[in-house]
Amino acid sequence: MWTVSTYVLKKKLAGKKRYPLVLMLEPLFRCSLACAGCGKVQYPPHILKKQLTSEECFAAVDECGAPMVSIPGGEPLLHPQIVEIVNGLIARKKYIYLCTNALELKKRLPEFTPSKYLTFSVHLDGQREHHDFSVCREGGYDIAVEGIQEAVKRGFRVTTNATFFDGTDPNGVRAFFDEVMGMGVEGIVLSPGYSYDKAPDQNRFMGRARVRRLFRGILSNRKPTWKFNMSPLFLEFLMGNRNYECTPWGMPAYNIFGWQKPCYLLQEGYAESYKELLETTSWEEYGVASGNPKCANCMVSCGYETTAVIDGFGSVKGFLAMVRGNFSLYRDQHALKLLSEPAPHGPLVQIEEPARNLEEANV
Amino acid sequence: MTAEVLKYTLEQVEALELAPGSEHENLEGWVPTLAGDDNLRQALEKAFDYRGDVTLTLKSGERIEAYIFNRKTGPTLAESYVHYFTPSAPEKRKVSYAEIARLEFSGKDRAAGKHWEDWVKKYNERKAAGETNIALAPEALE
Repeated sequence: MWTVSTYVLKKKLAGKKRYPLVLMLEPLFRCSLACAGCGKVQYPPHILKKQLTSEECFAAVDECGAPMVSIPGGEPLLHPQIVEIVNGLIARKKYIYLCTNALELKKRLPEFTPSKYLTFSVHLDGQREHHDFSVCREGGYDIAVEGIQEAVKRGFRVTTNATFFDGTDPNGVRAFFDEVMGMGVEGIVLSPGYSYDKAPDQNRFMGRARVRRLFRGILSNRKPTWKFNMSPLFLEFLMGNRNYECTPWGMPAYNIFGWQKPCYLLQEGYAESYKELLETTSWEEYGVASGNPKCANCMVSCGYETTAVIDGFGSVKGFLAMVRGNFSLYRDQHALKLLSEPAPHGPLVQIEEPARNLEEANV
Repeated sequence: MTAEVLKYTLEQVEALELAPGSEHENLEGWVPTLAGDDNLRQALEKAFDYRGDVTLTLKSGERIEAYIFNRKTGPTLAESYVHYFTPSAPEKRKVSYAEIARLEFSGKDRAAGKHWEDWVKKYNERKAAGETNIALAPEALE
């Protein structure tokens, strides 16, 4: 927190208008899962076999200068130089979130050294049945949990990350929070799904009204044991308590094609350098205020958490709200009522369009 | 954002219950007619969006199997480029729009199919047949 707060303050004092907070470093697109509907890894085999070299990763990190580096993919543990990449980033004192499906985590842990700079961010979309169905692999949850438990035992920092789609049962998610906190993880990361252009299935993505209602149900009336590895102001944004505009340059993405324009989610072209990305992207064409339909349902952290973090560390009012958010349980009778509504369907995500009342969250 | 795309008002965006999503165009096997600059530019824009390999035939007669991952457009075809990887070369390459005579969407569209509904159907069938450890496996890379 200290690193991020001083970084934001320094940028603010320097009058910097656009700066990165987290570099989304995708060293490869290859994955060991084949999740139906995934919008990230549909490429021909020769592209899936390509990967960034360690040197390319370090050059991107050095050029960008973000204090945090998230390593998604694909599955980063499939990269043959992932240990070298991680160690190189630790040497640069970057806070790393290595995002993994954890199928290989337990086996690979001895190759890594625990560090305050390294966090394994394990993909878990919900309780066993829900997660396995979501990632299209029975047994996937148990393997991931074994990896989490071993990592915690060895002294690594571990968080879980979950993406929620339309039809998610908020009560199931809350029970899932109890489970993961019981595993000894530091915190939970969560996000609503986003309708990638390339996702084969386009019917499971929530619009903003539905996202707010779902997250208000999930995140209100919290249990004191739940910890979130996210800005409390971003969580308030998901719950419909705050309006934020997107900061697409806050979490730039770099992969084998270059610097992705304009953000981690949209692929509208590539720049050869971070500088070129900043200078040649028409930023005014993105974000909810632009009216761009591609941004219409996006409430994803890569666009909005930067805004929340800058708000939290950029003003006394924001800072106080952030502190308050860290200690609040967000008691809310209306949200309790949302939880008592019949679940849209059983514990598994199903495909039928739910025939439920579409009640706005913030009434 | 292209000119023909409608813009939303803020009120419309905030009230959205479901994301509108996007239509998936079936381009596999398509050979666009490249009569004029606009046709070529539009076809290469689709090639940039395509999640499969294409075959470019240059005016020199050279044929290139390529995955087009980027394009940078300028005022003339000679100043516009597609950037691509080939299956056999490790480095990024580029070619000017002005050199391209023919384009074919020759490779498999990797974004087609794989619907959530297909997985649900397959899962239920396999479960009903008594199968355990049901999973989808990534496609082979060879």
